[in-house]
Amino acid sequence: MEIFGFDMGDAWVLPVLPAAAFAVLLLISPWLPRKGDWLAIGVMLVTFALVIAIGKDVADAIGDGGFHGVARNWEWSNIPGFIEIRMGTFVDQITLVMIFCVTFVALLVLIYSTGYMHGDRRYGWFYAIISLFVAAMLTVVLADNLLMLYAGWELVGLCSMLLIGYYNDRQSAAEAAKKAFVTTRVGDVGLLIGIIILFWQTGTFNIQAILHAAESGAIQREWLTAAAVCLFAGACGKSAQFPLHVWLPDAMEGPTPVSALIHAATMVVAGVYLVARMLPLLEAVRGVPELITGIGLFTTFLAAFIGLAQRDIKRVVAYSTLNSLGLMFVALGSGAVGAAMLYLFTHAFFKALLFLAAGSVIHATEEQEVDKLGGLWSKMPITAPVFVIGALAMAGLIPLSGYWAKDEILVGLDHGPLGKGILIMTFISLPVTALYMTRVVLLTFFGEPKDQHAYEHAHESPPNMTVPLLILAVLAVVSGFVVFEGVGKALGFHSGWLGFVYNLAEGPEEYHFVGWITLLSVALVVLGIAAGVGIWGGAAEPARRLAAFSPLTYRLLLNRFYIDELYQLAIKYVVLAAGQAVAVFDRAVVNDSGVNGTGEATNFLGWAGKHAQTGKIPNYALAIVIGVVVIAIVAFGYRT
Amino acid sequence: MTQVFFDIMAATVIIGALGVVLVRNVVHASLFLIMALVGTAGVYLLLSVEFLALVQVLVYGGAVTVLILFALMLTRARELQERLDGDQKPLAAVAALALLGALIAMVNQTVWPRDINQLTVVPFNSIGDALFNRWAVPFEVASGVLLVALAGAIVIAMQEEGET
Amino acid sequence: METVTQEVPLEHFIVLSTILFSIGVYGVLARRNAVLILMSVELMLNAVSINMVAFAVYTAPTLFTGIIFAVFVITIAAAEVGLALAVILRIFRNRGTANVDEVDALKW
Repeated sequence: MEIFGFDMGDAWVLPVLPAAAFAVLLLISPWLPRKGDWLAIGVMLVTFALVIAIGKDVADAIGDGGFHGVARNWEWSNIPGFIEIRMGTFVDQITLVMIFCVTFVALLVLIYSTGYMHGDRRYGWFYAIISLFVAAMLTVVLADNLLMLYAGWELVGLCSMLLIGYYNDRQSAAEAAKKAFVTTRVGDVGLLIGIIILFWQTGTFNIQAILHAAESGAIQREWLTAAAVCLFAGACGKSAQFPLHVWLPDAMEGPTPVSALIHAATMVVAGVYLVARMLPLLEAVRGVPELITGIGLFTTFLAAFIGLAQRDIKRVVAYSTLNSLGLMFVALGSGAVGAAMLYLFTHAFFKALLFLAAGSVIHATEEQEVDKLGGLWSKMPITAPVFVIGALAMAGLIPLSGYWAKDEILVGLDHGPLGKGILIMTFISLPVTALYMTRVVLLTFFGEPKDQHAYEHAHESPPNMTVPLLILAVLAVVSGFVVFEGVGKALGFHSGWLGFVYNLAEGPEEYHFVGWITLLSVALVVLGIAAGVGIWGGAAEPARRLAAFSPLTYRLLLNRFYIDELYQLAIKYVVLAAGQAVAVFDRAVVNDSGVNGTGEATNFLGWAGKHAQTGKIPNYALAIVIGVVVIAIVAFGYRT
Repeated sequence: MTQVFFDIMAATVIIGALGVVLVRNVVHASLFLIMALVGTAGVYLLLSVEFLALVQVLVYGGAVTVLILFALMLTRARELQERLDGDQKPLAAVAALALLGALIAMVNQTVWPRDINQLTVVPFNSIGDALFNRWAVPFEVASGVLLVALAGAIVIAMQEEGET
Repeated sequence: METVTQEVPLEHFIVLSTILFSIGVYGVLARRNAVLILMSVELMLNAVSINMVAFAVYTAPTLFTGIIFAVFVITIAAAEVGLALAVILRIFRNRGTANVDEVDALKW
């Protein structure tokens, strides 16, 4: 169905609107009333409405069956016989999920920020960059060719850096921004190399064309493997998978709404989107799905264990994001696209909820460390329950949304091509996740307040902050129900979630209830929650005993396994040392010998040559005569 | 017969020339120059251009040599007794010999397009004819040159007030 | 104009003028006194004149260009000697020497 003639093919409008808002805000926001936040929110509302329109159009198109996405593109650069690049959009189910999550969460975050960022010095700049970020993210997910995707990808990284370093009077914020940008840059180089390899092998940047070429075997195996690994490296950078995960916890230096939007719901899932989009290519290479699953699984456990010992409430939520992202990659590695996208969809809601609620706590108490919090349940009657809802959804307790998503992932792993070992490991991750989420809930909202001053200061947040929280809480509860056929049809689609988003190689599926998986997962989650309550509940005495039991383990967890320090050493002794060597080469060879040397050589030649000017006429006359003799001999020699 | 005369005249010229470039005494060198110039006049006679022989003796042998002797006197060449040969004597010899060798080689290998044993005796009056008819303009210009040279020499060599 | 067959072929005159020219070149390059250099230049001019006249008489008599050339060479040489000697006198007065090796103000 079209609304005012707006259909899937017009999706190119979506990034343009927030980009226009960015331009306007950048230029004139200081002179607008309220610095122009209404402009950003209004534009986002319009964009979201257009997303709904596109959604209806997609729903109708799928109903006819055999829907493979709609592309529209325009010639961008054409050198006949050499290169032709076309830029445009490609809309299918995955795209729809992404643009919905991006615009919806962005809208809620912008409304929330009117309260959280109220009175801040760089208020207008904040709204401008968020608008730019949304435009860039929409470009990434709507792009039909890798070049446009890469451009949006880089722009997203830039916005992330700008927003992490938002509090530009803090050294730690600047350092975190730099770290984020450099770490993702490492991944981005891989992405660029992968794109170049693919272009070189197939002659096009168009994603669908490349996927067809990969599936049909038109690309040589070595290059396909290299491209697949490089693309996945790019995804690892943006989605903070091991070993490029170190930037995400530090990114908490940015304002909490930024964390909610960028580092929970949208930017970090750009890598997941990339892998989902390029999955036919990645699955065509032997070993790459195993690589994806392995790294995802490792990240999941790494993040869960580190999260057990962190003291900053935002950092715990950040590590929970890493946890979730790892699970998404595990699902994608087994080809369970529907499950992965379902988790992405529900995760956007409950993770944004967790961040915004944490922001509400920080806004109220001006403290971030759990050492200073506690007993806030009674003081924050809206924030506290919604945080608990988000935490339970994250842990995967039935019937909250997180449960349905994790359930589908487990089902997908069970049916998947990889061994049962992955399934077992994923089951083991469930109680660990429940454990650390329970810990942070208990330490923040229950028990005795550890800092009287913070406790006295605590108050509930204003409505422009609590209303988005409530909306997200409702979604965190119900968004999992989209797996059911009835719910899907009620929303205007022709089936449940799994019939909507699916692995193209396998076809649409229906939701099946697998009893033993459900029972086992629920049991493990409850076990984790109970253990958490047992350790950290009340006076948290068992926690202290556990920490004292193995101080080494505790220190390892608290210090994030010293990975950051390891990287710093590597940078100092490898990267900077190499830079020194190059600098020496540049100074000695290029500058002194090459540039200066050429000048000095010319100088020397001039100095040597000047001695021919003796000023004595007989010398000059001799030179003339010798010249004449030489010319005579040469001319004479030529004549004979 | 003619060949003998030619040999005598040639020897005169060459010995005179060698004398100019080799002797240690400047005045002796100028005397050898006179010898060379007069020898050249003899060569002109062999070529049957008597006019040139006369002009050569008059102008060169007379005026130019006297000028040179005056210059030698005014620059105190005999008194100051400086070394007459420069530092690049060996190189000069090499260059001159190379030039000589190149030119003689050229002459030897030239293929003459016509018989070169035919000498034409040029009548005296036709030279005058040509000089005032065909070559009239260069003739007038040469007079101008002489005038300018005369004036210029006076100006350059004039003694200012207070100079020695 | 009558034509006479000579016993002395043209090459003899040319070789003579070449030898004279080379001796003049040596003199210009090797002598230090300015006046001696001038005398060597005179030798060179004479050599050229002999060459021109020989060619004119033997090969191109109708135009007698070479003879007229020699006339003018003599004329101009005389003028040049006068001027050159004036310059040498001026230098001698300024420097106290007629030695060309010591007139090297244009040295680097």
